[in-house]
Amino acid sequence: MTPATVLAVRTSPHAHAPRSVEKIMANVVFALLPICVYAVWLFGISALALLIVTTAAALATEQMFCRAGDKRSSIGDFSAVITGLLLGLTLPPALPLWMGGLGAFIAIGPGKMVFGGLGFNVFNPALVGRAFLQAAFPVAITTYTPAKALDRFTEFIPSTLAWPFMKAAPITEWMVKVKVDGFTGATPLMLQKFDHVTTDPWSMFLGERAGSAGETAPLLILLGGLYLIIRGMMSWRVPLAMLLSSVVLAQAFHMSDPARYPGALFVLFSGGLMLGAMFMATDPVGSPVTSRGMWIYGILMGTLTVAIRFLGGLAEGVMYAILLGNALSPLIENVTQPKTYGERRKAVAK
Amino acid sequence: MTAEKQAVTITADTHPFLNGLWKQNPVFVMVLGMCPTLAITNSVRNAISMGLATTFVMVVSYGMISAIRKLIPKQVRIASFIAIIACGVTVVDFLVKAISIPVYQALGAYIPLIVSNCLTLERAEAYAGKQPVIKSMLDGLGMGLGFALALTCLGMVREVLGAGTFLGYPVLGSHFEPWVLFLLPPGGFISLAMWLLFFAWRKERAAKLAAAEATQ
Amino acid sequence: MSSPIIPGPAHAPSAANSIRMVRLLGAVSLMCGLLIVATNILTKDRIQSNQETITRESVQELLPGIKKQVTYGLEPSGELKVLTGATGEGKKFFAGYDGTGKLVGVVIEASERGYADVISALYSYSPATQTIIGFKVIDMRETPGLGDRIKSDIPFLANFKGLDAKVENGKEVHNITTVKHGTKKNAWEIDAISGATISSRAVGRMLQKSVQDVTPVILKNLDRIERGN
Repeated sequence: MTPATVLAVRTSPHAHAPRSVEKIMANVVFALLPICVYAVWLFGISALALLIVTTAAALATEQMFCRAGDKRSSIGDFSAVITGLLLGLTLPPALPLWMGGLGAFIAIGPGKMVFGGLGFNVFNPALVGRAFLQAAFPVAITTYTPAKALDRFTEFIPSTLAWPFMKAAPITEWMVKVKVDGFTGATPLMLQKFDHVTTDPWSMFLGERAGSAGETAPLLILLGGLYLIIRGMMSWRVPLAMLLSSVVLAQAFHMSDPARYPGALFVLFSGGLMLGAMFMATDPVGSPVTSRGMWIYGILMGTLTVAIRFLGGLAEGVMYAILLGNALSPLIENVTQPKTYGERRKAVAK
Repeated sequence: MTAEKQAVTITADTHPFLNGLWKQNPVFVMVLGMCPTLAITNSVRNAISMGLATTFVMVVSYGMISAIRKLIPKQVRIASFIAIIACGVTVVDFLVKAISIPVYQALGAYIPLIVSNCLTLERAEAYAGKQPVIKSMLDGLGMGLGFALALTCLGMVREVLGAGTFLGYPVLGSHFEPWVLFLLPPGGFISLAMWLLFFAWRKERAAKLAAAEATQ
Repeated sequence: MSSPIIPGPAHAPSAANSIRMVRLLGAVSLMCGLLIVATNILTKDRIQSNQETITRESVQELLPGIKKQVTYGLEPSGELKVLTGATGEGKKFFAGYDGTGKLVGVVIEASERGYADVISALYSYSPATQTIIGFKVIDMRETPGLGDRIKSDIPFLANFKGLDAKVENGKEVHNITTVKHGTKKNAWEIDAISGATISSRAVGRMLQKSVQDVTPVILKNLDRIERGN
């Protein structure tokens, strides 16, 4: 069986030109690479090691499940690489490596291969892995470190090198050593939510802030997304709907109570909204295929993101918003099916 | 109906106690009583307490049900069964409170819920309502202890991974990073899935071995 | 069940049959009722004393070294009443006395909505210095590993050794507030647990409200409480 026929089971609209899974996936990897490089520049070798571990663990898990299920190995289609990279990019750079590896195992194993591999999973695998880590290790996954710390290319953050299944070394001493002015260990979203300190959107646009490894570079994420959209490998509707709806809703909140809710630009450039909207919400497996469905799906996720951030107990809501969107996408697809030619409403037919 | 008949024929040729404890284990084989199984197994102590409380309810109420089984008209049997089980549950509720308040606080709303545990009614309907007193009580004891065993298996996985302790004693050293997830509700589902996977795998392997032997 | 227990058509029960059913159900209910009442009578005292012991042990833990405890109930009218047991409904606090009969402090019940559910706690208060001297969580459902650290986190619990709760003219001088981890400057501030801000804040609110509510009454009736009647 050739790979092209593996993908051939798809609802309309069909792609015009024959494109293989590998080619699209490889292009997504290209689009992700600049973000990875920038993440390593900001957070140093700890981020590099984390990305390598998540990707390697994702590939190893995929291979293991293929072998256990007596299936042809599917690691060549790059989808496991994307899952590994995306997972690494959504994690805090100081996360112990073994947790990253475990997250990748959960992402690929229970998140994808158990359903039958690529194309059959309900949820975005990288986010399944991240949700697992968030629930299992709530402290480690909210321990953020400053960007552009001293000695970041020569020294690991001490928590990175924790023994497997063991607690991470405390990073307080290290934080004192590399202290960037006024850093408190919180991301702009946490600062906003718990201390009502709003970070300047421009500095967030440049990405020199605390956060998950790959979520701090809106410009590169935007460029990567645009590249894929221009090459016709990604739907523009989903990210546009998601970003637009969150911006509009955030602005409405902001206007109702400026002291309490931050503005639209802050919402747009903070947290993982950009990365989530461009690279995770658009996962073709988890999103609807009808164009009306894509709008509904995007708006739903954008609204949920803002609702969780502003009204919920968590500082960041992109992950749960996308997972909920994934869960609802079959339903959305069902109610937005285009009418077949000649089909009429029942009332008319009577 | 056919499944029920089957269950009765299986129970007829095995010992009622061993049947519940292992062969037809309420959680791992029949997958009954999922509410307490998932909800209160986040520590071994809770799991054992819940298992024992359920066992007590089952033994006492099945004894009573079986004793009056010939008097109960068919039309009101479910109502009578539930009344008797609910009585047993209320008694247990008082007893647990009298024995230990911390255990009572940990089990919380789940003791009253024993009455709605489908396992208790299922065995009353399928077994105690038809069999003599001693056999019914043995069945209740076996099923109850089988339930307790399964709950303890789950509680073990969840407490060891989620807190690094067993019955409150640290077993994985002070440097172990606990997987908080296992103390939360999703941990219950994940550990139950792991146990069911393990038993399914064992069963499949046994079937394969038997098939291989048969062909030789 | 395929074989009917009673012979005859099941869909048309006769009148005699109905009466029999009612009688039987009545008998079953009566039997169950009697059993429940009997158990209740047998276990009532045990349960009561169990709950007492738990409360008394917690009070003892918060005011180490006390030899005698008196429970006061707070009437809605603002009056105090000595209660015989340590359990029951209504607002109450426990006064603890040392071997010589001198008042060591009082332990006050408080509760507040946390992240997941209501957190209920006891805290000890010294009327002599007008400070909170201890804090113990009794019941909560906060996230394990994060919010539930309010029960065990040693630096956090250190906040409650001498937390300023001064009251003047029936009003707090400084409201007890929870501040971000590492920024505690004043004696009436609580240093939050990093990563458990919501639960830490709930504790701050709980104490602030309760101090405002209960301590003016205690200070007004201090002579009486010192005498222990």
